[in-house]
Amino acid sequence: MEYQILLQQIFNGISLGGVYALEAVGFGIIFNILKFSNFSHSGVVAITAYLGFFISKYVYTNFLVTLTITTLAGGFIGVMIEKLIFRPIRLKGAPLTLFLVNSITAAMLVQQFFAATLGDDYYPYPVFMKQTSINLGTLTISKTYTLMLIISGLILLLLTLVLKRTKIGIALRAASTDVRTPSLMGVNIDFVISVAFFIAGVLGGITGYLLGMTYSVDPFIGSMILKGIIAAIIGGMGSLGGGVIAGLLLGVAESLLIAEIGSSLTQIAIYSGIFVLLLIRPEGIGGKRYLIKA
Amino acid sequence: MEFYIKVLEITCLHTILVLGAYLMTGLTGLFSLGQGGFVSIGAYTAAIAFLHFNVPFPIAILMAVLMGSVVGFLIGIPTLRLHRDYFLLVTFGFGEMVRAALLHLAQLTGGALGIAGIPKQVDLPMIHVSILFITILIYNLKRSRFGRNCIAIRDDELAASLMGINVYSHKMKVFILGSAITSYGGALYAFLIMFIEPNLFNWLESAKLIIITFVGGVNSIIGAIIASVVYYSFGEFFRFVDVWRDVLLALAVLFVTIFRPGGIFGSWELSLKNLLPWRVKKI
Amino acid sequence: MEVLKAITISKNFGGVSAVDQFAMVQQENEITGIIGPNGAGKTTVFNLITGVYPVDTGEIWFCGKNITRLSSHRITDLGITRTFQNIRLFRNLNVLDNLRVAYGIKTHYTMWEEMVRGSRAKREEQETEELARSYLAYFGLDQYVDTFPYNLPYGLQRRLELARALMASPKLLLLDEPAAGLNPKEIHQLIKTLLKIKEEKNLSIIIVEHHMELVMNICQTLHVLNFGKKIAEGEPKDIQQNKAVLQAYLGDEG
Repeated sequence: MEYQILLQQIFNGISLGGVYALEAVGFGIIFNILKFSNFSHSGVVAITAYLGFFISKYVYTNFLVTLTITTLAGGFIGVMIEKLIFRPIRLKGAPLTLFLVNSITAAMLVQQFFAATLGDDYYPYPVFMKQTSINLGTLTISKTYTLMLIISGLILLLLTLVLKRTKIGIALRAASTDVRTPSLMGVNIDFVISVAFFIAGVLGGITGYLLGMTYSVDPFIGSMILKGIIAAIIGGMGSLGGGVIAGLLLGVAESLLIAEIGSSLTQIAIYSGIFVLLLIRPEGIGGKRYLIKA
Repeated sequence: MEFYIKVLEITCLHTILVLGAYLMTGLTGLFSLGQGGFVSIGAYTAAIAFLHFNVPFPIAILMAVLMGSVVGFLIGIPTLRLHRDYFLLVTFGFGEMVRAALLHLAQLTGGALGIAGIPKQVDLPMIHVSILFITILIYNLKRSRFGRNCIAIRDDELAASLMGINVYSHKMKVFILGSAITSYGGALYAFLIMFIEPNLFNWLESAKLIIITFVGGVNSIIGAIIASVVYYSFGEFFRFVDVWRDVLLALAVLFVTIFRPGGIFGSWELSLKNLLPWRVKKI
Repeated sequence: MEVLKAITISKNFGGVSAVDQFAMVQQENEITGIIGPNGAGKTTVFNLITGVYPVDTGEIWFCGKNITRLSSHRITDLGITRTFQNIRLFRNLNVLDNLRVAYGIKTHYTMWEEMVRGSRAKREEQETEELARSYLAYFGLDQYVDTFPYNLPYGLQRRLELARALMASPKLLLLDEPAAGLNPKEIHQLIKTLLKIKEEKNLSIIIVEHHMELVMNICQTLHVLNFGKKIAEGEPKDIQQNKAVLQAYLGDEG
């Protein structure tokens, strides 16, 4: 492949990977604390994608403003999902399988709801800027992709600061080890869980907006986070850093492969790769082999 | 009248698939989102064998089941040792891989255009007999050592292994059997709806099989069957509000998991004992 | 006959030595106790013997066979069963089924025979049921046949767990804190029961326990662990006087 095209593909891959990284972290935060795969995340992404569209088209077309509103809405939706769908069964001491079932059901609920109400139309985001690409020497870099990259990077940085420096961040990390620890710190565990879902929701909101902006919105937009979930597995559930790295790698690998061998073979290649990886290292790149206590 | 027969055919066929999911996910706790892959494998194997290689219908179905079992075994080797959530996602990956492979091998499979012109060889009696047969099989397994081992593994893998159960080997048996049943259903499906394409049974449909099992109650085969019949027949009757039935299903599931976590039927099983309370026979 | 021999087994978790060069020998028809302060590594020893964790160093021999690298279900099949510190009954199987599950390894019929209810399958199922019911009667649980374990009172759950551990006719029984949560009357009952089953079933038993009355009363030998290392071994009356043991439990009192 030509040098320029290669570089371009890598850049695209990194920005796509940035979104995957966001998805992986949004997914991973809930997995770390509550120990289940939160598929309802796809619901948050879908709702915010639609929301972002309607707001930016009909209310106020300004990129940063609508992004912020959507993101906060995402956080709010995340908290609502926790309150309505997960808290009732958590308080009853439900086994993890039930959380899984509920999360898949919530994802289906959102997707089919949109399919039923808004399914038939095609919703492209309004154009935010006059010029859609920047010319950097011989490279043509898409502005959209650049934005995606910058935003992903900033948010992940912000999140790292929150997790390492704030009290609630420490409580979140403590909860990952054992969900009862925050109460030992004098922090209400329900609050910690709500915060976790808020953060995941915020990440979901950004993801929804960015995906909607890049691909336009349809009821199945939620399913796009499956790549992010894959990144979370490869990176190792339990390791947010691993998820980020895996997300970036996945984005680049996908970008390069699609250019070379086409879309369907890429899918096969990626999934085969995951099979092999999990065969050799079942806990993923950064994950820990979890020990069962007898 | 024909319409009702069609509805019944589709409903009962999906019930076969639900039974496969019941065995794997309901009884044993193996959450596989890749069952769509086996439906496709069964459907395509049977269709291709029949149409391209002129294999007689019964043999084509048999080949489909064998193919499904073998693939199940191969997929099971690396995946059955994984943590439940990883298993879920890897099986999803498998489903997607099958879809991608079907698209890619267009020479054999017709690619995105699929395979059309499959003659209708499957009718209602055949499906009913299949359901009866499979149900009896699963019922017999459930009430003896096999079923107890499934539930033990689902409840507490560690304790199960310490009771002498070879967890990995047992899961493999369940997975192969479940895949065989699902492939069988897929093969019948091809000869029922007469046209198949790679998007035949995506991950959402696979997820629905799992969800229906939970609504019916994971400890009740009859619960799974009834839930399946209700859901799929409802969907056929109300085709024009097709997508709303999924919304309703989702709401029903949430209602059940929150208020009646055992499922609607709990552990109630249709058996002589339950139907004839005065003929008290030891369990 | 030597039933169990642990040769300097060690287990390390991420830098923390949970079990450090532990060794013991258990004879047939013997009741032994492993005691020590909380966190001393007692349950880890059980986990190592039953194959839940692999040993880092050392070997474990059972009735002349090296079981060090065997998987848990093989070890159970050979004749070691156990109960757990936190009761681990199967919540979705009723009381009778919890017992029947434990007998599965003793049955020989195949999956295919099960599917068609072949005669061997039916016969062995019958056998399983009869044995399970006899144990229920033995432990006074027959009225609870249809109940689910977590609906039982705690004391009865413990009994059920013990019954379950006996189903497969083990040669060696490992009990992890069997007296935890029991009231004095129940503990006396437990002591009587353990002595009875030891004689009747020709069992060898190892008990991890905190409850001193239980261990002092029925154990012939005690091993004392502290921070993963064995600090004393001997008869209960000697252990009671042992300085090192007292220090471990009570701290430096001078």
